[in-house]
Amino acid sequence: MTRRLAVLAGVAVLVAIPPLTGNIWIQNLLILTFLLAIMASGWNIMGGYAGYISLGHSAFIGVGAYTAGILAVRWEVSPFLVAPLGGVTAAMLALVLSLATRRTRGVAFVIVTFAMLELLGIVVSNWKGLTGGSNGLLMPLPTWAVEYQNWPFYYALLTLLALSVAMTAWIARSKLGLGLVAIRDDEDKAAGIGVRTPVYKAIAFMASAVLIGVAGAVYGYYVSFLDTSAMFDIALSMEVLLAALLGGRGTVWGPLLGAFLVQPLIELTNSTLGGEDAGAIRLLLFGGLLLAVALLLPRGLLPELARLRRRRVSRTGARLAHAEVPAWLASGRRARTGEALVVHGLSKRFGGVRALDDASFSAPAGSITALIGPNGSGKTTAFNVIDGTYGLDAGRVELLGEDVTREGPTRRAFAGLGRTYQLPRLFGSLSVLENVAVASGSFSWSGLGRIAVSGEVGGRARELLGFVGLGEYVDARASDLSYGQRKLVELAQVLMLDPAVILLDEPAAGINPTLVERLAELIRALNAAGKTFVVVEHDMQFVLSLCDPVIVLSRGAVIAAGPPAAVSADPVVLDAYLGADFAVEADPIGSAR
Amino acid sequence: MTLAQTLIFGVLTGGVYALMSAGFTLIFGVMRVINLAHGLLLVCAAYLTWSLWERTGVDPLLLGCAISVVMYGVGWLLYRTVIARAQRIDAEIALVASFAVAVAGGGLLSLVWGTEARAATPSYFNTSFEVFGLVVPRAQLYACVGAVALLVSLYALLHATAMGRAIRACASSRSGAALVGIDVERSMAQMFAIGAATTGFGGAALAVLYQFVPDTHYAWIGLVLCVVVLGGLGSFAGAALGALVLGVGEALTATYVDTRWTTAVPFALIIVVLIVRPQGLLGTRLRIEGSTA
Repeated sequence: MTRRLAVLAGVAVLVAIPPLTGNIWIQNLLILTFLLAIMASGWNIMGGYAGYISLGHSAFIGVGAYTAGILAVRWEVSPFLVAPLGGVTAAMLALVLSLATRRTRGVAFVIVTFAMLELLGIVVSNWKGLTGGSNGLLMPLPTWAVEYQNWPFYYALLTLLALSVAMTAWIARSKLGLGLVAIRDDEDKAAGIGVRTPVYKAIAFMASAVLIGVAGAVYGYYVSFLDTSAMFDIALSMEVLLAALLGGRGTVWGPLLGAFLVQPLIELTNSTLGGEDAGAIRLLLFGGLLLAVALLLPRGLLPELARLRRRRVSRTGARLAHAEVPAWLASGRRARTGEALVVHGLSKRFGGVRALDDASFSAPAGSITALIGPNGSGKTTAFNVIDGTYGLDAGRVELLGEDVTREGPTRRAFAGLGRTYQLPRLFGSLSVLENVAVASGSFSWSGLGRIAVSGEVGGRARELLGFVGLGEYVDARASDLSYGQRKLVELAQVLMLDPAVILLDEPAAGINPTLVERLAELIRALNAAGKTFVVVEHDMQFVLSLCDPVIVLSRGAVIAAGPPAAVSADPVVLDAYLGADFAVEADPIGSAR
Repeated sequence: MTLAQTLIFGVLTGGVYALMSAGFTLIFGVMRVINLAHGLLLVCAAYLTWSLWERTGVDPLLLGCAISVVMYGVGWLLYRTVIARAQRIDAEIALVASFAVAVAGGGLLSLVWGTEARAATPSYFNTSFEVFGLVVPRAQLYACVGAVALLVSLYALLHATAMGRAIRACASSRSGAALVGIDVERSMAQMFAIGAATTGFGGAALAVLYQFVPDTHYAWIGLVLCVVVLGGLGSFAGAALGALVLGVGEALTATYVDTRWTTAVPFALIIVVLIVRPQGLLGTRLRIEGSTA
């Protein structure tokens, strides 16, 4: 509530300034501050939330300004009228460049944004016919009365800034925003739980560019003369980076705070520095400042402040609670008849090692199938090719009777496959609830904008956390949980996909016996509700009491498969894995490990 | 101008580009750090070359060999004071830090040397050999021969010495290298310094073959990025191939399109390659092998 009041008061002051003072210098300072804040705020969507650093964001200013300038002159209209088209052009450019992030990571993005800025600078200065080249482009003169000074520019940019902050605040709470943070924390994992990473990144980059494009058009009109070096200036990109980093990446207000600190400093140096060395000193000063912020305050002001105020959520007293399988999950996707999962002739080599060598097996619908074998026998590799993390050298993967061999991890998640990891991979910057809410078993454009931690999505996530017994921990940060609790969160995350087939990689390893029992109960309950499981596990007691059939892998190939009693008595299995002295009844602790 | 003549220009330029990019790709291959200050180091070495050449009149390319030693020291210092610290925070901060160094360093160059365009022009500048009616410019030939010789020695250094083996061990696994008794921090500093040292001769060649002002370091880092993107990031052989492709591509553009557009070639290539074929020309397989070279 106090925050809302503070924001309202801030807006009121900014709205009142031009009529109250009439001071051109202050208006100019604020106009430039708004511009930098809009840029830093846009940069933050891609650089802060998704973790893709751009060095070329000032190019969107140039693109917006030149688009509006050229159209305003040709069509003889006010640049304000065509300013939105500047935003459209910027967004289209972002869409094209986002193609470079389809299969690559941050490194390629940095390079491509830098190249875009430099290339546009060269193209605009060489393409004289369209842009006036190095002679520059003259914008139309303002048409309003002199006593209104720069008010239209001022209010236009203030409105854009408000839009920019509102958009960021909305993205931060939406499914899209959670997906972006997940991409920043662990992009491969995000793809595996139904985050369509190329789409998320493309939308983020467009959102990041569009308002800067409009602001560029307004700014171009304000300075009234466009020249290449000022419009495609890497020093401006550097100031954007400085503002966003100083205020705090990945926060709604941080980039704004940064801009309100950095721009006055720029104005101060502009007015105190003179002579031919002024430009060089400015570069040295602000480059040095950026270096200092990067090394000494890498998280930025707002996150550091929040860290001082944040108390660890301590809930050591909370007990694991029992709950029913949520109704929507019980009536959700399932394999009805036949085989839920079939793999045929899987082969995968790493250099000279054959991790999988013509392995074929299947998991019957409604079963809890175990996949066991000695270390290095190819169990986890099998999971990695089944969920699409690795490509196959040969073989076929069929899920619910459908060939998914050519699909990527996200498509397989949409087709009904879920998977946990031996070491749980949760998103460290997200809360427990957000970690679950970010997963989705299907894709819809409208779903991206929905607020993720409340409403239907949030409700389902809460139900699942209640089901695994962590209903008390929804607001804790995933990184504050114990190892066993993280395993349970990852199970809830996977259940969010409403999968028909769930792969569990060593669910019982490294957690206490009570939790192992609890986990077995959860698996049984889910299985009774129709879910098919494939479990990789070394704890033979756990496997033999829970699973049927049991498949044994050795050196990448299947050496036995069948009911647990038959497999555990099979001499080939005893020789390759269990050991000749293995006996289930005689050794209740399960010393097979 | 004939096609053969254009190709000669392209190949000679490509040899120099290969050396300029070798240090960058070495640093990326081993440390996974995009060193955006690499262009700055090149232009800095070019200014040092120009200053010494103007005072002493010694051949600028020979000076380049001596300046390599200076750049080794600069690289070592840069690693110890900035890159190593930034990398401990995260990869994005390391990148931002190197960018900050590039921006601030550009300002420093302007303060020391001014913003007037410079070039070192030895006596053989603008003279050339003629072979079968084709022109082979002497400055370009000497620069290319020197660059290739240095590339070969760099390769030998990485593959035939204990220091090189330690660096390559760190590239494939830092913790593994530490386990077998390699001082990882020292190897990293040496590797970064060697990468910077390649800009010594690279910068001297730049000073002889091109005009430069402090701001040109952005164009040079763009060129280096283009070379490594073409060849596949981190790949040594890829960088050599990328340099050749870019050198020839620029020569072809200058001959058949317009010299004004040659500066646009590297940036356009970067964008096209990253959109169409992000693994570079030689593909992923060589990229992985190359990253340990």
